[in-house]
Amino acid sequence: MNSIPKWLETIRISISKVMAYRLNFLLQIIGPTLVFFFIKYNLWSSIYQGDRTILISGYTLTAMLAYHTWGLVVELLASGFTAMNLSEDIRLGRISTYLIYPFNFWEFHTASFIGFQITQVFIALVTFGAVALSGLIEVPMFTLLVKGFSYTLFISFLWFVMNYGIGLLAFWLEDTWILKVILMVISSFLSGAILPLDLFPAGLVEVLKWTPFPYLSYYPIKIFMGVEPNYLFAIGVMTGWMALITYCNHLVWKKGMKLYTAAGM
Amino acid sequence: MMRNYWEIYKKFVSTSTTMAMSFRLPFVLLIVMDLCFYFTSLLTIDFIFNHIQHMGPWNRDQLMFFMAFMLLLDNLHMTFVSESFWELSMMLKTGQFDYVVLRPMNTLFSTFFRFFRPSTMLNFPIAVGVLIHYGLKIGLAPSAWALLPVFVILSFILLIQVEFIITTSMFWVIDGLGINFLRMQFQKLARWPNFVYASMPRRVFTLIFPILVIGSAPVSFLIDQSKWYWPLGLVTSIIVLGFVLSFLWTTGIRRYESASS
Repeated sequence: MNSIPKWLETIRISISKVMAYRLNFLLQIIGPTLVFFFIKYNLWSSIYQGDRTILISGYTLTAMLAYHTWGLVVELLASGFTAMNLSEDIRLGRISTYLIYPFNFWEFHTASFIGFQITQVFIALVTFGAVALSGLIEVPMFTLLVKGFSYTLFISFLWFVMNYGIGLLAFWLEDTWILKVILMVISSFLSGAILPLDLFPAGLVEVLKWTPFPYLSYYPIKIFMGVEPNYLFAIGVMTGWMALITYCNHLVWKKGMKLYTAAGM
Repeated sequence: MMRNYWEIYKKFVSTSTTMAMSFRLPFVLLIVMDLCFYFTSLLTIDFIFNHIQHMGPWNRDQLMFFMAFMLLLDNLHMTFVSESFWELSMMLKTGQFDYVVLRPMNTLFSTFFRFFRPSTMLNFPIAVGVLIHYGLKIGLAPSAWALLPVFVILSFILLIQVEFIITTSMFWVIDGLGINFLRMQFQKLARWPNFVYASMPRRVFTLIFPILVIGSAPVSFLIDQSKWYWPLGLVTSIIVLGFVLSFLWTTGIRRYESASS
């Protein structure tokens, strides 16, 4: 209970930091997502040649655009956090501070992530309002909306633990950004963020079901679209992966601390 | 003078290679990263074409050829210039850019060609191989094969000109990191042919800020050599952007206030 004020203060500072560099925030977090959506919107409009009656893998043009519009909301809500400072903290020896302070490394970065997420929820809600007004999506029922938002917030934690784990590898690696880019490239393809998984070969989709990827984009989009996927199965798989990655992170941290020399102290 | 610059560039390559070789795992991971990117980019088109016959005027192999062309440009970009953009934002923030200004050589050259990535160069044969494979599949004419290397070089020049111009805006902001992300968004836009975009963005990104000319101009001409206006547009864009870049870079350098002084 004593640590709650520390959490709240770190969350507050994290929000201030995000808002202090507004141009950078706009260009780094919101810009890429909007451009990604702009490309997909144009690409699919061009593929369908504006014909709203053509069906591609069960999708009309309207459904395909709705899929990618929900993809925009999901991406803003779930996958913006990059944990960039985390590996820098390790590489530059700044974690020594956390070893002395009564607020440890994972607590600080998790609280920072929550602060970041609060701004992202606001941005995602504004985006949702804008796209709903533009008629790109049908506004789903309130319960569905709550379900979609809560599921997407849940997967944002999975993104966080994955990024956290990669950041911890800075104990051994000079730069961890390469691993982050590899994760981003593979996950945006296999999660259905670029193409709906319905366009993938059936065998590949069957294999992907057991990986965390489809649950990062495809599933939350489908929830928002009112197509009820196997919700409990998805939550189960995600929880399993999150537990496994969190445990691995714990082991990596313990092993990394044995190597840590507090360079520069 | 050219010889002097060549000697300097050889030193840049040599020091970059020594640095890269001292971190072996990142060296290998960079190769893997690029291969993942090539593979997913090509698979995206392949999966789309499992459900459609044409995209605009092009079929599967023509679009694959376009993507292979863009991947080769990406490979050259990653090898020769990409690291410099990130370094520049850091140099401007910390005042390290003072040393670039003080050196008795062209500042554009010493800023953007200082860092070389040897690991991505190892993927060059793969990128070329993919391009040749799809070039054979679409039955490129002998004259198109002869012009292909010239167009790769011209498109690469236009790509880096566009990126240098975007990067120049770092002189006007406190932290240039966000500008690098903006630059990468323009790269993404160029990775699809111009006919994919609606009329207004297509015009803007072809005539005003010719990011779509980079890939669409050479590939459209190589596929259909009656479209002579495309290479003309490519060369004109390079000349015009050359002047724009020169003006903006000089203005930016004048505006630079050393962070350390």
